[in-house]
Amino acid sequence: MSPLLKINISVDYPRNPGVLQSLTLEAHAGEIIGLVGRSGEGKSTVTMAILGLLGYKGGKCAGEILFQGRNLLELNQREMRCVRGKEIGLVPQSPLAALNPNLRLRAHLEEARRAHDGEKRDWAGLMESVSLPSEAAFLDQLPRNLSVGMAQRFMIAMAMVHRPPLLLADEPTSALDMITQAEILKLFARLNREQGVAMLYISHDLASVASLCHRVAILHQGKVVECGATGDVFQNPQHAFTRQLIAAIPQPPQSSLVAMGKALRPDWNEAETMAPEQAASEHSPVL
Amino acid sequence: MTLLRRGAIGVLMVIASAAVAPELWTPAHYATQFREAADAEPSGRFPLGTDRLGRDRLSRLVYGTRVSLLLAPAAALLSCGAAALMGGSAAVAGGLTETGIMALADLCLSLPWLFLLLTMRALLPLNVSPQTSIALTFLLLGVLGWAGPARVIFATVRKLQSSDFILQAHAAGLGPRQVFLRHLTPNLAPVLLAQFCVAVPLYVLAEATLGMLGLGVAEPLPSWGNILRELESGNALSQPWLLVPVVLLALVVASFQAVMPAQTGEKDYA
Repeated sequence: MSPLLKINISVDYPRNPGVLQSLTLEAHAGEIIGLVGRSGEGKSTVTMAILGLLGYKGGKCAGEILFQGRNLLELNQREMRCVRGKEIGLVPQSPLAALNPNLRLRAHLEEARRAHDGEKRDWAGLMESVSLPSEAAFLDQLPRNLSVGMAQRFMIAMAMVHRPPLLLADEPTSALDMITQAEILKLFARLNREQGVAMLYISHDLASVASLCHRVAILHQGKVVECGATGDVFQNPQHAFTRQLIAAIPQPPQSSLVAMGKALRPDWNEAETMAPEQAASEHSPVL
Repeated sequence: MTLLRRGAIGVLMVIASAAVAPELWTPAHYATQFREAADAEPSGRFPLGTDRLGRDRLSRLVYGTRVSLLLAPAAALLSCGAAALMGGSAAVAGGLTETGIMALADLCLSLPWLFLLLTMRALLPLNVSPQTSIALTFLLLGVLGWAGPARVIFATVRKLQSSDFILQAHAAGLGPRQVFLRHLTPNLAPVLLAQFCVAVPLYVLAEATLGMLGLGVAEPLPSWGNILRELESGNALSQPWLLVPVVLLALVVASFQAVMPAQTGEKDYA
C-alpha cells in the first residue's frame, strides 16, 4: 500500500538557508507518526511546507510532497486551497492566538465550512466528538472566554470540520498544563481510533510522543536521523542525537517521592522507591 | 467609565444636539442683520451681543458649531478612508507599491502639516461661494491628513498578516476574500476608529486656524474659524463675551480627548 503522505523536501529561508535538507518522511493512513526535534530545527517548517504556506514566511521549498499520489508542490494556489482544511487539517501550537479575537466560535466553524462549500449543519456532534459543550450558547462566545485547553479542543474540532484523512499537529500540547496535555493526547488517540484520521504529531516533548505515536522520526540538523516504531526507537536508539534526547527526559526526583511516601505512610521503606542499582549502592558497606 | 469620560460625553452630546437644528431655537438666522443694533453688548435679546454687521452672535455661534462639527468628522472620514486604501494596499501589495506609497507618506509627514495646509489653501481660489469654501476646506483637510493614519494602517495590516489566526485561516483553506472580509477587516476596524477619533479634534483646530486667517469657510456662513476672526480687533478684554467661541472650541477639543480612550482602548488584540 502506498503511503498517505510521502515527503522529501529541502527548505531555505532567505536568512536561514538549509533549514531542511532532503528531509524524508512517510505517513500511512490511520497512523500517528511523531516528529521530534529541538526547537528551531524546522519542525513547524515541515507543516508549513506540506500546507504550501511557506510563502507567507518567505521560505522556499524544493523536492516533492506526495499526498494521496499527488505532488502538492506542483499544484497551483487554487488547487492547493482545496487541499488545505479539506484533506489536511492543522492543529496549531497556540490555540488562543490562532482564533480571531473578534469572531465568535460559531463564525469560525461556519467560515471553515464555507471555505470548502460544506453543507450547513448542526455543530453539536462535532463539539461532542472533542468533548466540548454541545449547546448553542457555547458557540456564541468569543474566543477570549475559552480556557487554553478548551481552545485547543476547539481548534481540533475546526481541523475536523471536513474530516480530513490527515491532521498536522504542530506542538499542540506545548502551551498546555500537564493535565490538559494528557486530556488532549487522549482526544487525539480517540479520534485516531474512532475516525481513522492519520496524524503527523510534531513535538519536542518525548513523553507525549511515546504515549501517542505509533512511529517516531527524529529530526536533527534538517534531516530525519532515525525513524522507526516508537518502542524500538525509545528502547534501542541508534543515533547519538536520539540517545541525547532520551537521556534528557526529566524524571521525577527520588527525594520528593520519598518525602511524599513518608508523609503518606510512616513505615515507608526508602528502598522501595529507588532504582535497584541505586538502592544496592546505598546499602553496600564499602563505597 | 470614569466620571471625566462621562462628563465629556455629556458635554459633546449637549453641544451636538444644540447644533443639530439651530433653525428651531436660535433667535435669528446666521445672516440676519439687525442694523439698528450693530455692535450691541449682551442683552436679553442678544445673549452674546451682535457683531459689527448687527448679526446675533449666539445664532452665528450655534450655526458655526454645526458647520465645524460636521466638517471635521467628514474630513476625518475622508482621510481615514484614504489612509485605509493607501496603507492597506501598500501592506498587501508589498514590493514597489509599498516603497512608493510609504515614501510618499513619509514625505507628507516630514512637511509641517499646518503650513502645508495654509499654502495649499492659499494656492486655491479664495473668492468662492460659502458652499465651495466648505467643500475645499473639507477636501484639503481630508487629503492632507492621510499620511499619519496610513502608516498606522500599514503597520496593523502587516502585523495581522503575520498573525497566527490569519495563518490558521489560510491553513483551513479560506480564500483571499474570506480572509479579508472575516479576519482582516474586523480587526482593522478598531484601529481605524481610533485614527478617526484622533483626527476629529485635530481637524476642528485646523479649520479654526484656517478660518481665523480667512482661508477657511467663507462669510456669511459661520464656522468657529471665521467667528474667531472677531478677536483680531483685540478688544477681548473689554468685551469678554467674545471669548465664548474660544471656550466652546477648547471644551469640544478637550472633551474629544477625554472621550477617546474609551473608543481607542486596546481591543483584545494580541
